Amino acid sequence: MTGDEPEVGRRYRVSHRTTYSYDDDVSDSLGIAYLVPRELPWQTVGRSELTITPTPLDQTADVDYYGNTATYFQVTEPHRVLDVLAVTEVEARADRHSAEALAVPWEDARPAHRPDVPDAWQAQDLALPSSLADQTDEARAYAAQSLTPGRPVGEAVVEVMRRIHADFAYDKTATTVTTTVDDIFEKRAGVCQDFAHLTLACLRSHGLAVRYVSGYLATTPPPGKERIVGADATHAWAAVWIPGDGWLAVDPTNDQLVNDRYVTVAWGRDYADVPPVKGVIFTEAKSSTLRVEVDVAPVTD
Amino acid sequence: MTALRDYSAAVTQPTLGGDPPRYDEVVAPDGALRPGWRRLAEGAVQLTEDDLRRVGGDIERFLANDGVTYTPADQDPGPWRLDPVPLVVDAAEWSPLEVGLAQRTELLNAILVDLYGPQRLLSSGVLPPAIVFAHQGFLRVSARASAVDPHPLLLAAADLGRAASGEWQVLADRAQAPSGIGYAMENRRVISRVMPELYRQAGLHRMAPFFQALRATLIDSAPASSPNPRVVVLSPGTLSETAYDQAFVASSLGFPLVEGSDLVMREGAVWMRVFGRLERVDVILRRVDAEWSDSLELRKGSQLGVAGLSEAVRRGTVRVVNGLGAGVLENPGLLPYMSAMCELLLDEPLRLPSVQTYWAGDPRSARYVLDHLDGLVVRTIDQGSGPGLEHHGPDRLRELIVAEPHRYVGQELLPLSQSPTLDARGVHPQAVTLRTFTLRYGSTYRPLVGGLASVSDDDRVPSSKDVWVLKERPEDPDQGLVDVLPLTNVRAPAAMVPRVLEDMFWFGRYAERAEDMLRLVLTAHASAEDYRSRPHTAGGASLAVLMSAVARLSGSRHTADQLDDNFRSLLLDAHRPGSVAQSIGALRDAAQSVRDQLSPDTWQAFSWTERASAHLSTYHYSHQVAESAGQMLTGILSLQGVTANMMRDPGWRMIGTGRAIERGLQLCHLLAATTTVRRGIDVDRDVNTAVLSAAESAVTHRRRYRGYVRLPGVLELLLADAENPRSLAAGIEEMRQHLAAMPESTGSTRPERLLDDLADELDRADVASLAVVEGENRPDLERFLTSCIGQLLRLADAVGDVHFAGAPVPRAFGFATVTE
Repeated sequence: MTGDEPEVGRRYRVSHRTTYSYDDDVSDSLGIAYLVPRELPWQTVGRSELTITPTPLDQTADVDYYGNTATYFQVTEPHRVLDVLAVTEVEARADRHSAEALAVPWEDARPAHRPDVPDAWQAQDLALPSSLADQTDEARAYAAQSLTPGRPVGEAVVEVMRRIHADFAYDKTATTVTTTVDDIFEKRAGVCQDFAHLTLACLRSHGLAVRYVSGYLATTPPPGKERIVGADATHAWAAVWIPGDGWLAVDPTNDQLVNDRYVTVAWGRDYADVPPVKGVIFTEAKSSTLRVEVDVAPVTD
Repeated sequence: MTALRDYSAAVTQPTLGGDPPRYDEVVAPDGALRPGWRRLAEGAVQLTEDDLRRVGGDIERFLANDGVTYTPADQDPGPWRLDPVPLVVDAAEWSPLEVGLAQRTELLNAILVDLYGPQRLLSSGVLPPAIVFAHQGFLRVSARASAVDPHPLLLAAADLGRAASGEWQVLADRAQAPSGIGYAMENRRVISRVMPELYRQAGLHRMAPFFQALRATLIDSAPASSPNPRVVVLSPGTLSETAYDQAFVASSLGFPLVEGSDLVMREGAVWMRVFGRLERVDVILRRVDAEWSDSLELRKGSQLGVAGLSEAVRRGTVRVVNGLGAGVLENPGLLPYMSAMCELLLDEPLRLPSVQTYWAGDPRSARYVLDHLDGLVVRTIDQGSGPGLEHHGPDRLRELIVAEPHRYVGQELLPLSQSPTLDARGVHPQAVTLRTFTLRYGSTYRPLVGGLASVSDDDRVPSSKDVWVLKERPEDPDQGLVDVLPLTNVRAPAAMVPRVLEDMFWFGRYAERAEDMLRLVLTAHASAEDYRSRPHTAGGASLAVLMSAVARLSGSRHTADQLDDNFRSLLLDAHRPGSVAQSIGALRDAAQSVRDQLSPDTWQAFSWTERASAHLSTYHYSHQVAESAGQMLTGILSLQGVTANMMRDPGWRMIGTGRAIERGLQLCHLLAATTTVRRGIDVDRDVNTAVLSAAESAVTHRRRYRGYVRLPGVLELLLADAENPRSLAAGIEEMRQHLAAMPESTGSTRPERLLDDLADELDRADVASLAVVEGENRPDLERFLTSCIGQLLRLADAVGDVHFAGAPVPRAFGFATVTE
């Protein structure tokens, strides 16, 4: 590919439904949703609809500090089921990086050391520890094996991604939303969100700036099988600041660079900045169930 | 010799090396008085140490009478302390400080506007970004393009100290929710009363106009759309460190004191629950740290704030003072860059220096800090001195700093000036710091001409000092403010949120419970004085019956021969259910959480009961029981005077309802314990007489029945006679009036129906015939009393359900979640 010709991306219709059910009336639900994908140089967002049931008295979309669309809503009629459905049409392309930019020594990709790069001051935000990506000694030592002096940043980051994929098992039962970096090292297992946090902790502890990215990955059914609707899941990965060349997105869960099968929804310091749905309810209910269905359907005209 | 001359002589003595020289607030190095004190000298110089000690005693009493408390972190509330010797600053010295404080606050505001907006400070390299990005007070939920607040800083405070040269330096800025202005006002109120002559002679700036200006500023800060803005003071509750300060500010400004659970988010705005209705809130003076203010977007699970508050603030439907993001200014990492930021944002040199500070995120400063760990105070950028940081040795500190240099600063230790301070050993120099307050008034920042000074020595609880800034000319306007409107007789508009009504109800119940138990103790003790050594007389038997009533109402682990221990425990043991001490403690808690609604006279009741308890603990004579119980009763009865002077609003009605329910319960229990068994004529007569006395109806009974004490008459008087205000019938009538006047009343609410049932039962019962005996017992009376007790308890529950029902507590989505 020469890079000059307009690239045609892949088009998807993403449907993401989150359903909370309670055993008693909820009088009031206030929530924040990060469900509308970002408009990006490598991603075009078409029709996007967020439907909340019961219908909120108040539903407002705003752009947050990191440029994500954050939707605030409040449901004030008594309900036992809250349903949040986001349906978006999106065209994704692969984000390209120049070989030259990826070849700079990783030490020169640390924003605190690059006052000459215009967005370096802003990127420093994402080199600092955050609550879910604690920069432990273990994380620092783990990354140090790949961040050898003078090594090109692209190569070093990809190696860290490869090693995390190889050293840590994918296990849905291993972790929860409150899992720490220490827990992940101890269990040597986790899910995509944990591997993203691990990547943040490893690389940030050496001064690199890394985003937590939340989105979707289109899955391909096994040969000869129909695509199963609703079997997809939300996904998360990490993106590393490359001086003068944007952010290099890597997916340690699948051991690959992020490409045109990925839909980017939102990014921040870690999961806590961009959960798909979070909220506060007023209720006497004793228990609740959560059901999430994601479908990333390819669109062909 | 007088205290001041002694002090002067002592501090001008050449010292034998050791301590570095300090600036003395009263005496210049040549032994002459400082200019401010020279003007006071005439009155002040004559004060002897004994005079000061007497004044100190007066101060303690005044503060106790006003119920002024301070709660150090993780401790119980203790008395607020005030030193009799003020910190005096004359006009010439104050004026440059005032200019410096105004500039500093303007600068802080400009920093805030920049950090939550264009971030020029960061992009230009003037301020290293990590200082801001790593600070917990930098709230990204407030840093959105959609949320721009032109003047986020309305009230700021600064802590200052003096270098040996006398130069004032800023030790720390307070911008979140500055505390202390209420204490400053209280200090002034007390000092002006205990040293009236000196206070008058001094010619100092009164503080009231500043408070008026603060009130105007808060009202003016309301979103433009509100013609008649409602301002509330948001408190974290009575357990907060500065609960007194919050309540004082709220009641002085005439704004209701509320807690997070009183407020609710609707339609993108904040509302207060008032009698089942919602009323719009326009301005929130918050004393809750931002992090705890919104469980939706800030700290999950916090119950101290309002879920959704960040969104309301971003939309501009409510103004929070200071803005949620202001905490980023409480950051010692900013201090080394203040000068450069001042040049960039205000284009003028910084006037008021900060204490020398090194941010370890800068490699050169980090080296300096690591090389000088002995001489510097190490702090984290966002947690004061950090949890336990002061306990770490240099090796541990070094490790922490090297691991995360951007989170630490090293600060030079300012020697601080010294000021004469009264302690147990006399008048001695103590290091002093000054907290100042600066308000945005109109288009400028105006520092309070005055402040709150703190002195502490190593081993004592810190004490405060009033700050006297003297006028240059006597005719100068107070605070330099001529145009503010006086606060005419401001009283907090009743914020009758369910929580307040509930506290009022319990205030009534506990006051009544304490009063009734005190009367029972007094009656029983009097009987014990006569009969404790004669158990086999009628009086002795009657004493045993009274003690069984005590046991019914308050349990007992005491045997019959431990009467005095039992009485003392009833008065002093706060852990004993139903004891006077427990009721008074709970009464005080209830009063504290509605402090802004109550007259200051309320607190005098507690200083009575406290002194009575202290005496009882000190003196072990039996008659001290009666004396202390009598004093406690005087204190508790004075609360009747407080409630008599209250507005007849729903809060007052709930106090009355609580009292009447409790009185009915206490009465029924007393009668059930004493009159349902027949014991013989002499014993019964003694018991009935004692019951009348404990039920405060002895005088009435004597007038009505000419001293002829028989049970039917006693029951008639205590249960059915509506003209006896202590009777059950009178209580029912009182409750009927209160409940009918509540906004929720329909005439048929559940409490009103239950009350009707109780009234019917009392009407139907032929009270005199309840005394009929079967064998030794009076089963009809027993059944009747048991039924009344049950109905009164149900009534209390129903009042709670109808009038205090708040919303369920907020919880996170998917709590206790099972993921499918």
